[in-house]
Amino acid sequence: MNYVIKELRRHLWRTVASISGYVIAALFILLVLSVTRTNEKDSFGILKGTGTHFIVYIPSNTSCCVSCDSESSNGSLFAEGVFTLMLNSDLITSIKKIDGVKDAAPYLLYKLYDEKLKTEISLGGIDTVSVATKNNVCAATNIIAGKFLSDKPDEIVAEESFAVAHSLSVGDTLNIYGGKLILAGIINSGIKPGKADIYAPIENVRTILKDKLKCISPGFDMNIVLVEVTDARIQKRVIDQMKKEMNYLSVSSYNCYEPAGKVMTIIEKTSGVLSIMIFFFLIVFSTKTQLTSLMERSREIGILKSLGWSDFRLSRQILLTSLIQSLIGVTIGCLLGVLIILLMNSNNIRLFDLVKFQFQFSSIPALIILSLTGGIIASIFPMIKLYRTKAGDMINNYL
Amino acid sequence: MSEYQIECISLGKQYTRNKQIVNAVDDINLCISQNEMVILKGRSGAGKSTLLNLMCGLIKPTHGKVMIDNNCISELSNNALSELLLNRVGIIFQSFNLLPTYTIYENIEIALVPNGLKQRMVKESIISFLEQFNLKDKTHLLPSELSVGQQQKVAIIRTLVKQPSIIFADEPTGSVDDETAGEIIEHLMNLKKEKQVTLVIATHGNIPEKLADRIFTIENGRIRN
Repeated sequence: MNYVIKELRRHLWRTVASISGYVIAALFILLVLSVTRTNEKDSFGILKGTGTHFIVYIPSNTSCCVSCDSESSNGSLFAEGVFTLMLNSDLITSIKKIDGVKDAAPYLLYKLYDEKLKTEISLGGIDTVSVATKNNVCAATNIIAGKFLSDKPDEIVAEESFAVAHSLSVGDTLNIYGGKLILAGIINSGIKPGKADIYAPIENVRTILKDKLKCISPGFDMNIVLVEVTDARIQKRVIDQMKKEMNYLSVSSYNCYEPAGKVMTIIEKTSGVLSIMIFFFLIVFSTKTQLTSLMERSREIGILKSLGWSDFRLSRQILLTSLIQSLIGVTIGCLLGVLIILLMNSNNIRLFDLVKFQFQFSSIPALIILSLTGGIIASIFPMIKLYRTKAGDMINNYL
Repeated sequence: MSEYQIECISLGKQYTRNKQIVNAVDDINLCISQNEMVILKGRSGAGKSTLLNLMCGLIKPTHGKVMIDNNCISELSNNALSELLLNRVGIIFQSFNLLPTYTIYENIEIALVPNGLKQRMVKESIISFLEQFNLKDKTHLLPSELSVGQQQKVAIIRTLVKQPSIIFADEPTGSVDDETAGEIIEHLMNLKKEKQVTLVIATHGNIPEKLADRIFTIENGRIRN
């Protein structure tokens, strides 16, 4: 060890050159990891939530929730244009147990023909806090006027298209569904599988159906289950699993989870391949550095061999030299990386004005292990060379 | 079991130079007994240095073999050869082969490092040799700061400090003045006399032949009788 340190100090510029190779490699890997991880995180954040939702119901050829009131007797539970059966809330528990399901929420979707407005009006009863509701039906963030649903029993929100068609504005009162409903807000939820004309909390809709419309039904839990999965890439598996376990259910989803899943897989594999390529270049670079060092030192090493230094002792020196250089290099590289990332972030510098450099502390141990592995691998070839070459040939530089 | 300490049997070394095969050493048979002093003389390029390098295992023969203490050195494992070079064989190079970035003390010390001797013993031994060769005040200098003669002395000390039983010396007095050459020869002869060391010395003629037990003349890689 003593001689390794002495050797490193004696050939200071050679040592600096070798270490700088590791510094550059470590710095480069750290910055690339920082960008790819951030990119991966941001892109995944967007893509993971793309097409991760679907609705579940049981189609029926007759309406199962018909009002006794003759005025409202044309109403029915429906989903995607067909009558549906009522579902029991136990189904939510069963669906939530399926691996990959992030959330499942009840949804009660009813429509009836309103004689005064001369149109069919659909009413959606939602669980206002559920993630599954947010992605399948609507969310507070979709409000464009007024406010979202509160605990008040008569409050509703209306889709923008419905409000415009009937010249409704926030605060208006609608005499529909057997009572007076106050328009608290106008919403634009976009294209969603569970879209309705107006929405109210599910408990209120249950009350409307039971008490105001006096519907006859085996239950009033829900007629649709809204499902959210954890990742677009597993959506197909979750749907298949659900159909396998509950084959009486109909599942409806937008298929955007398929391209999203493919893009995520590509991003994931690209960053993996990039990391492998950087590691490969690090090893090639380190090996070249160590081999060059051996070539430069061949005469010295030949002299030591001629004095009786064993190949094992000399190999150990080469290995230790390589490890020390890689350790110092990776340490300096990491410190420089932290400094550069901190400087860039403090000055709000972003790649393409979009990607923020985020320091990955978790990558430091991996980077140290990679560099040390690189150091070990880099010394293997010189060691083989050392074992195979006679002292005299090394002294005469016949490597 | 052979009675000789060193034996060269049909020893040969070929090099390829400009696509031509050159016989640097060609079919040499040589036997050297313990405590013998043998001079290999010949002109530059005759093959003396190659023969010495073959005899001490620094290069591999193209054909034939070298036996030291009845061991064929080209068949020895790397470790066994290192062991031999560490404990039994000392080599004095024509070009000294001192490490330029090491001090004089360190250049000598590296010959003892693999032995794992205690630092105090190593220091005492080195200082004693440096005193004998009047180099004690040069301990912390680099080889480039010494004269050629002094560098040659350091190279010799590095060999002697290991106390080898066989010394292969390639032109040990080739680049020094007569006075220094005399000192070096005296040291080598003392070793032969006091420690029963075997000496194989390659020279082109500046070592008194009367000191040698036997003299071999090398010409075109062969021994001329």
